[in-house]
Amino acid sequence: MATAAPPAPASNPTLRGVQPLRAGQGHSYFWRRLHSLTGLIPIGGFLIEHILSNYEAVNGPLAYAQQVKFLNGLPLVRVLEWAFIFIPLLYHALYGVFIAIRGRSNVNVYPWAGNWSYYMQRVTGYIAFAYIVQHVWRQRFSGVSLPEHPGAAFAKVQHELHNPWMLAIYVIAMVATCWHFAYGVWLFAAKWGITPGEKARRNFGYACAAVGTGLCALGLVGMYAFINPKYANAPADVMPEQQPGIVLPAPSVAPPNSVNPSAAIRN
Amino acid sequence: MSTATLEAPAKSPMSTSVSETPARTRATNRTIKVSIKRQASPESKAATETFEIPYRPNMNITSLLGEIALNPTTVTGVDTTPISYDANCLEEICGSCAMLINGKAMMACSALVDKLMGPNGDGAITLAPLSKFPVVRDLAVDRSVLFENLKKVKAWVPIDGTYDLGPAPRQFPQVQEQRYPLSNCISCTICMEVCPQFNEATGFVGAATIAQAKLFNMDPAGAVLKPDRLRALAGDGGVQECSFSQNCVQACPKQLPLTEAISDMGRDVFVQQVKDFFTR
Repeated sequence: MATAAPPAPASNPTLRGVQPLRAGQGHSYFWRRLHSLTGLIPIGGFLIEHILSNYEAVNGPLAYAQQVKFLNGLPLVRVLEWAFIFIPLLYHALYGVFIAIRGRSNVNVYPWAGNWSYYMQRVTGYIAFAYIVQHVWRQRFSGVSLPEHPGAAFAKVQHELHNPWMLAIYVIAMVATCWHFAYGVWLFAAKWGITPGEKARRNFGYACAAVGTGLCALGLVGMYAFINPKYANAPADVMPEQQPGIVLPAPSVAPPNSVNPSAAIRN
Repeated sequence: MSTATLEAPAKSPMSTSVSETPARTRATNRTIKVSIKRQASPESKAATETFEIPYRPNMNITSLLGEIALNPTTVTGVDTTPISYDANCLEEICGSCAMLINGKAMMACSALVDKLMGPNGDGAITLAPLSKFPVVRDLAVDRSVLFENLKKVKAWVPIDGTYDLGPAPRQFPQVQEQRYPLSNCISCTICMEVCPQFNEATGFVGAATIAQAKLFNMDPAGAVLKPDRLRALAGDGGVQECSFSQNCVQACPKQLPLTEAISDMGRDVFVQQVKDFFTR
């Protein structure tokens, strides 16, 4: 047994094509799983919050302003905004593009449902990314600043959706984002081993489709409020300007054309 | 061809074709047109050669390639070499004859010419080597990346010792039933060929290796290497690269529950990573 160990087999220096698994090496596992997780928490959570908040527009400019004021009155709201929305969203978007450009979609050759979904997850991801960039820029970082002027929120969105092209972009982006989220939840459960069985995956697929469709419907109804004739020409601002650290109450007399007329009739 | 008229009416219970159209049973001058993407060596340029073979019912692609080898002359009358391809068992169990048939990854032995020629029975057939593996010659490709991957995840049961290790632990039939479908893998690499994530950019390990890791993790004796396998699968190109297009499970000729295996291994790898993070 004193002989030297047999020479290690050549580690296939000539192996061309796709390289073997780099067992135990690298950090892509962490980054890829983080990407999967951020899609649910916090981004998915924020998407639901955002659509529910926007649905308040159904009750008119004043109700919408109250919702915007409430969200901007949360403690450490700017920290929350960066830590749970902007940074995770930016990471999810950029790493998502990195994933998408490394995939080689072959849905033209194998047109199966799962393969279509793989392709659509990338397409909707790109749509959502492009939309969110312009949406965050135009609605959050340019024009009238809503944290200080929550009362101007309704009018700001209304002016945006007044352009039919912009309205079309919003509708497409709403459908794409909800699809991306719903299928993302399904993918999360499948990849993390929560729904390994075929039946579990199919049933969870129905559940995700139902939630995604419901969320999309809610979003579109909320969006319709801004173009609903009953709120046509909403007042530019329905609230006093908000000071840092103080949440001022809504005006005791609602400005004209700022509440839901059908609700007012009931009162 | 007289053999055609003799064979066709005889419908044995083994025959999978449900109805033979009259056109197919007639012995005529029908031919099978087949275009094959060929290349003489790994480095040389690929070119397509077309052949025309006298029609015979119930052929598969392997027998078609055999016919070409008998008379390797292209449709334009140019003498050429027989087609190189991997084949061994001719009954979809050795896994060597996977290739692109009409653009899709299939086993040449179980791909039936009568089906491939379309409903009218006159469609041309195209053959090409698998697109994601280096071509050796013609339809033969180098699929050693799968063997390398299986070694990386230690897809075996460690039973070698310097002394008799005694009988293996008992394996319950319930576990055996779960393991058996996974043991049907024939290493044909079709699951890797059809996977959008299996490419040179990701270096994804592919469904077959992940399924084999599950198979050996579930073996009572093989489970001793489970942490090693799970750590290997968390490396770059590991289970995380799966994007669940589910092409693997659709295309697998042996119907392995590949997506279920990937899902299960995804969970086990995660649990192992968390455990390692806190205890290692």
